[in-house]
Amino acid sequence: MGRVEGSPEQSLMTASEIAVHLLNTCVSLVHYDAYMFGSTLQGVGQDIDILIVGPAGDPLTQLKKELRYAGESLPLHILYMQPSEERHTQFVAREKCIPLAHLAASCRRSRVRTQF
Amino acid sequence: MNWQIKYALASFAKERQSSAEHVGGDIIRIMTRDRPDVLAAITSVETVDQATAARYREQVEGLDFLCGYRAECVWEGEAIQYLEENRIGWGSFGTLGSAALDGNANSAPHKVYKFSDRLLRQYGRVEKVDREFDRIHRITLRGGATLRIGMIADYEPTANEVRSLWDRFGPVDIVWNINPNGTPQPEANEAGRELGCEVMKWDELKDRLSKA
Repeated sequence: MGRVEGSPEQSLMTASEIAVHLLNTCVSLVHYDAYMFGSTLQGVGQDIDILIVGPAGDPLTQLKKELRYAGESLPLHILYMQPSEERHTQFVAREKCIPLAHLAASCRRSRVRTQF
Repeated sequence: MNWQIKYALASFAKERQSSAEHVGGDIIRIMTRDRPDVLAAITSVETVDQATAARYREQVEGLDFLCGYRAECVWEGEAIQYLEENRIGWGSFGTLGSAALDGNANSAPHKVYKFSDRLLRQYGRVEKVDREFDRIHRITLRGGATLRIGMIADYEPTANEVRSLWDRFGPVDIVWNINPNGTPQPEANEAGRELGCEVMKWDELKDRLSKA
């Protein structure tokens, strides 16, 4: 997965790297609110919990295809919610979900720091 | 080393109750104090059918457990029957971790569906259970009626989960939210109505079975 082999944990993508990978691979994500939550935010988890909030129908079918491709070598665990379901459950606040865009931005910032 | 082995080894290293080493290919050995070592295959397939299960059994002498690493991994009924008849445990990575600690890897079934499967089999009104998939049971009641039941384990089943279950496995009469603390979302109930099935918890299902 693009890292030098060391211990198994060292060779796995970080939360920020996963966010960059998903945003770069799944163009349909621009139509949805996408978050990460769970243990991957604290390091390595058994799987990578992703929340997708947005409309059902054909756009969702397309997004699922893209995520399936993007997750070929990742243990993605994806929860899809309609906006009303997220409002009922307050899932984003309750599970302390972080937008993928924020995670990706932090990855890009750290790369810039490394370059200088 | 493939991705699922990396994740499996990293998870065991993090949990620290058991340790694990890569044997080769999809195979790891799990060591737990005062428990037998477990030889486990970690597969990345999305569906485990009987051919997949048989291939692992034939290729790995002494296989104790077959683990589907993906959260969405589906197990076909024939694969489950084959593995159980051959004394090989099966299920998720969480099931494997628990089985290694409990020392029962050869007989452990997928822990997500273990209790709901048992509930159906032990319920007096149920005469016959045909497990088509890990989460899809066709039951015959003593009165002769049959029901096809699909299980969703999530805490708050969504409309998407109901629709995905229907799309993946075909029509069901009942979607059973098997999480004892779960609450199906109103949108999930509505999706069930639109498709032509009911979304319910165990108490409602029990009531339904007693009246069918």
